[in-house]
Amino acid sequence: MIERRVTVTNRLGLHARAAALLVRTANTYKSALRLERTDGTASADAKSILSVLMLAASRGTELLATAEGVDETEAISAVCGLFAEGFGEGERVDKA
Amino acid sequence: MKPNDQPSITVSEFIHHAPAQLELRITAGAQGATTRQLTVPRVQKLGLALAGFTNYIHSGRLQILGQSEIRYLGQLDAEKRREAIRNLGLERIACVLVTKGIEPPLELIEEAEAANLPLLSTPVLSSIAISVVTDSLQELLAPIVARHGVLMDIYGLGVLIEGASGIGKSECALDLIARGHRLVADDVVEVRRIGADRLLGAAPELLREHLEIRGLGIMNIRDLFGVSAVSANKAIDLSIKLERWDEASEVDRLGIDAQAVEILDVNVPQVLIPVSPGRNLSTLVETAVRVQLLRTRGYNAAQEFIARHEKMLETTESRIQESGFRIKENL
Repeated sequence: MIERRVTVTNRLGLHARAAALLVRTANTYKSALRLERTDGTASADAKSILSVLMLAASRGTELLATAEGVDETEAISAVCGLFAEGFGEGERVDKA
Repeated sequence: MKPNDQPSITVSEFIHHAPAQLELRITAGAQGATTRQLTVPRVQKLGLALAGFTNYIHSGRLQILGQSEIRYLGQLDAEKRREAIRNLGLERIACVLVTKGIEPPLELIEEAEAANLPLLSTPVLSSIAISVVTDSLQELLAPIVARHGVLMDIYGLGVLIEGASGIGKSECALDLIARGHRLVADDVVEVRRIGADRLLGAAPELLREHLEIRGLGIMNIRDLFGVSAVSANKAIDLSIKLERWDEASEVDRLGIDAQAVEILDVNVPQVLIPVSPGRNLSTLVETAVRVQLLRTRGYNAAQEFIARHEKMLETTESRIQESGFRIKENL
């Protein structure tokens, strides 16, 4: 099992479109992927859209991502990559 | 199949297909009927052209001569009358329709005969003839394309079910028919564009009311399920595309991204439904139609849900900021 800490950096937080992208990415891997708020108030299956939305992860929220399975390394780096890139929202949105 | 760029029909084809209420008959120039082509559904009135302003005569449109035009010709002397008629350029006009059963002037009959211009007559008034002719030509000249799929009437909405061969379109249709929905066309759907943005789908004559299911063969749905299980044609309001689960990579998990497919330059909303064992297709299709019905009435559940979620994100964000301030204060 691999664990990694991520922070929601994009302006809109883990909103609907970002969550959909996350779930779509997560579903391309075999490993079980979970996201947990570091304050312990909620955790989610990263392959389930409603579960991810229930994290209510707005900008600045810290999450613990965990992956377990045959492709856990690739899976966790893909998911962490999405957080790092701000879910492709781009600079235009960040400046706004 | 590529849609025809410029659909056209000959005058005799038009006479053959025109509604019976027009009681069309050819009074002169019958020879030209098989060669002259109608290309535009809108008719023209020859009024100004008879007065000498012939610039806007369109060769592909049916020309109407009503009471006022015939009266105008009637008050000219014979020579002027023939000149006004010749001025029209009878060789390039598709056909002329005299309304209200008026006897056309002798000069017009002679000139039409000489130029092989089909001169038609109807007992119907101009105002009615114009609307009946336009409607009929609009259908006859509509761009047409054949789509592979099943067209059904579900809760009053025309739904085109598309997808690769063997994915289960016909089986899905049978299930929907068993639930009381109507079959319009199976396998081949002839789609016509009526006006600028309306698509009308129907089955080719031979396939009408029939459905083919692997293992059951070709069945007559009207015989099996009754007259209420079939419909002759239906406007297409929604396209549902069935795709194998592994191919359906771009599935909209939230239902917020409105997709559309272009048919004859008209955008039709499209829903992509992945198919896999254990998914009840007809229930999914039925529900997709219910969702679409709500959307056309301005209610989008997915969008409302997202708005609520965004509100939730805002409140948690402000809580984070508050706690951040508190931490600073404590320092």
